[in-house]
Amino acid sequence: MFDLEPAIANWRQQMLAAGIQTPMPLEELESHLREAVEQQMRSGVNAQQAFETAVRQIGRARELKFEFKKTDNSIGARFAELTGIAWGVIAGWFLLWTLFFLFTVHDVNWVGRILGLQAIVSTGLSWRYGYLVLPVIRHRHIRTMIGFACCTAGIVWMGIFVKLILPSLVILPTTVDTSPARLMVSFLWAWTVAATLASMAHGLEKAASRQDQHAVS
Amino acid sequence: MIRKELVAASAEPLILSLLAKGESYGYAIIQEVKARSDGNLQWTDGMLYPVLHRMEHRGLIKSRWGESETGRKRKYYSLKKDGKTAMAKHQEQWSMVHSVLAGLQKEQYV
Repeated sequence: MFDLEPAIANWRQQMLAAGIQTPMPLEELESHLREAVEQQMRSGVNAQQAFETAVRQIGRARELKFEFKKTDNSIGARFAELTGIAWGVIAGWFLLWTLFFLFTVHDVNWVGRILGLQAIVSTGLSWRYGYLVLPVIRHRHIRTMIGFACCTAGIVWMGIFVKLILPSLVILPTTVDTSPARLMVSFLWAWTVAATLASMAHGLEKAASRQDQHAVS
Repeated sequence: MIRKELVAASAEPLILSLLAKGESYGYAIIQEVKARSDGNLQWTDGMLYPVLHRMEHRGLIKSRWGESETGRKRKYYSLKKDGKTAMAKHQEQWSMVHSVLAGLQKEQYV
């Protein structure tokens, strides 16, 4: 037996997962959906058919999000976009510089090189495929909060590493290898932890987006 | 059925012209356009709202939350001063396109 209210609640969840914001414009779209369902039911169409037609006429969540995104040119959205671009440029430059350093400038042994490369590859893999192992969080605000927490944790971790761990590595007894190459590989792995945390924020968004893609197709 | 590009291009002037008659809401705007075009102008319902929001952002229209006769929440839109100016410009441009097309069509039958 079809029940309209759970069906609408499920539709809302799909919209939220796609990034359609609440209270605006989701409330407005829901108001439209209810109006369309009501009008059709008045003309004799059953609730399920009326709901399915109304959902189809409203359109796909991803396309709607894309259209609404054009409107969202607030300072906050622009700042977030610019921050993302800046972060990408810094990370790319850092990785290129590290590769150059690992293979040319200093006398890094092969173990060091392999460890360094592993760190870089881990960063890339977590960014590219992390979403496959992450849960789908449908509520956009919760996703954003977790993402923000991950990014903050990454920054705090790098701060702790640079301020506390790295200096303690430098003053270790001479029996421990504290060559610049070894320190750099340590730094790379610390960076990988931070980048993985950032990848989690990115992966959560991607997982939700893919779930929505399946739901509306 | 009218082509998608033309439907998209005509959305703003149609909304402005409809709102010039008085405040209205999304569902009613869609139904009126559908009825006036005998179903030839078909919008994907949800796509109207990003257009309305952009127009509001540009200061052409304003909105307020109200209630329907049945007590359901509804968002009403109405025209602002800049919207009236924009509507006049749209109508002038569309009339010009129409007159050029009509003139060319007339010449074909002379």
